[in-house]
Amino acid sequence: MAGLLDKRLWIVSGKGGVGKSTIAAALALRSARAGRRTLVCEVNTQERISRLLGHEPVGPEVTKLEDNLWAVDVRPQEAMREYALMVLRFETLYKTVFENKVVRYFLRFIPSLQELVLLGKILYHAQEKRPDGQPLWDTIVMDAPATGHAITFLRVPQVLLQTVPPGPMSREAMKMRDILEDPAVTAAVLVSLPEEMPVNETLELHAALRDQVRVRTHAAVLNASFPERFTEDDLEALVDQPELLRVARAHHDRAAQTVLAEMKLERNLHAPVHQVPRIFTDNFDRAAIQQVMGHLEPLVTGKAGA
Amino acid sequence: MNALSEALTKKRVLVCVGSGGVGKTTVSATLALRAAVDGRSSLVCTIDPAKRLANSLGLHALGNVEAEVPASALEPLGVKPRARLHAMMLDMKQTWDDLIVKHAPPDKREKILANRFYQSLSSALAGSQEYVAMEKLWELRTKRDYELIVLDTPPTAHALDFLEAPNRVLDFLDNEAAKKLLTPALAAGKIGLSLFSLGSSYAAKAISKFTGTETLQELAGFMLAIAPMNESFRERARGVRELLAAEQTGFVLVTSPGRERLDEVMHFHRLLKQNAMEVVAVVVNRVHPMPGPGLWEEAKNLIPSRRAKVEETLRELTVLAEQDARGIAELQAACEGTPLIQVPRFELDVHDIGALWRTGRYLMGDEVVAALPAA
Repeated sequence: MAGLLDKRLWIVSGKGGVGKSTIAAALALRSARAGRRTLVCEVNTQERISRLLGHEPVGPEVTKLEDNLWAVDVRPQEAMREYALMVLRFETLYKTVFENKVVRYFLRFIPSLQELVLLGKILYHAQEKRPDGQPLWDTIVMDAPATGHAITFLRVPQVLLQTVPPGPMSREAMKMRDILEDPAVTAAVLVSLPEEMPVNETLELHAALRDQVRVRTHAAVLNASFPERFTEDDLEALVDQPELLRVARAHHDRAAQTVLAEMKLERNLHAPVHQVPRIFTDNFDRAAIQQVMGHLEPLVTGKAGA
Repeated sequence: MNALSEALTKKRVLVCVGSGGVGKTTVSATLALRAAVDGRSSLVCTIDPAKRLANSLGLHALGNVEAEVPASALEPLGVKPRARLHAMMLDMKQTWDDLIVKHAPPDKREKILANRFYQSLSSALAGSQEYVAMEKLWELRTKRDYELIVLDTPPTAHALDFLEAPNRVLDFLDNEAAKKLLTPALAAGKIGLSLFSLGSSYAAKAISKFTGTETLQELAGFMLAIAPMNESFRERARGVRELLAAEQTGFVLVTSPGRERLDEVMHFHRLLKQNAMEVVAVVVNRVHPMPGPGLWEEAKNLIPSRRAKVEETLRELTVLAEQDARGIAELQAACEGTPLIQVPRFELDVHDIGALWRTGRYLMGDEVVAALPAA
């Protein structure tokens, strides 16, 4: 089983509310611990990852959090500026053109330009080189949007290639598509919960990534899963205490659902499924992230057992 | 009577907003169901392709047209709805196409439908979902006579995208400078010959360097083709904006009590208030109730190994209940003046009609989540 450490771009996605940012934070921390220069990117959202790791929010500039770990919250306005500067080369030209009201109106109406520059900026980081020609970043963790938005977002290069005539935008789109489609570089980690709807959505996301974006699912993470605790004997022994039985049965049912979810994911994704147990702690802080990280060890290194 | 049950008797439009994965679709369907049972004809318009929701309402699949929920679907509830319940699922692409077919001049229709910008705009590209949802709401509200429409919104990452959808269209259409740039091309009545006839302008040259000349030409073609529709776009965008701020419209903010959701919902709440939108209630979904002290007492009589398992479970449940209670207190303080309604986390996440009904009992205040015992 190959580990994530063999890939450079780790895309984390899944249904809303399944804990994508938590998993992305834990993966980024693990990558940094492996001595790899790691950049974790959030996409135009309320920044969470830096705080989960116990740091101040970083904003739209690439900022060092700790040894080997940098973070950035990619936002449209700044990304647009950087992209425009890359294309137009001169700051003054950018100002004359992009701070012109009329131009801004036109750009706003060009469909998916915003997504193009957001994705473009992240994939630009994936291509950044050191002076010796080696990639600047050993790992880029992308905390991608939730399912529907993620597909729209990651499909932007393809859609643009179909939409816009040859030109600078389509050249950018082609470069971006090539990175996403390269299985030696890019791997998706799909986060799910042991519940029916998130599992189904994970399967849909997997199919859409495969067919529409051509990004490979490397593994799934079954977050907040429930380990077996109560045996059938335990439940039987509690029949005379209906309130306690209810508590035990609820736990038992969730554990059973976890097993079902894991089977369903494994069978349909043809990829390993890694369980991260639900963590009961007062504050979901760095210590909790480190706990999560421990459970992701086999996913990251490819070695069985934590 | 709580805030939501009152809204169900008075409002004409309820818009459920919130981030993804918090149960917006379930809450939307429940509200429409309760209104119908209580005697107001209602429609739930959902965005989520949740087939099980459709099934639980007795429909094989939900489409872009309204379907009546058969009485048989409600049989397990043992209640007879006093008015009709309809449901539909918003199909983005279809709504756009309908819009063009309905409003474009006949000779322009094919041209628009075939335009590459239009095709990606209408089917694949981000940002148009919020707009389409608004368009549909406007059409349903003005062309049909439901007493209540409940709109489930796209799981938008950004409150503003949603609120701004009609404004964005208006801004563009109403922008004098943009119109001026387009005017020569509009007058010429043909596309692409000279980049809106502004090929010589500095700005146009720079934009084309950025996007490619042909892209701009194609965009100009699209703009020209939809130009005759501008007036009706503008009219509806204005209508939507008024509709959202109208007294008969209310917003229901849906969230889960988790820490990571709270900032979002508070932000959302602020934005709605700033935009003079009425927030009827904040629904906090999937709240963990506190296990009662009696359970700990009972557990003491169990054999040690079993007792340890039960106590471990009770401890976990306590942590969750305390976390939720802290979050809710914080939310309450941040959304002062807005009623907060809690729905407990059910044992399993079921999506049948019974679960909708159960959710409704909490939404309407027939049942409430037990408060934390005083420490």
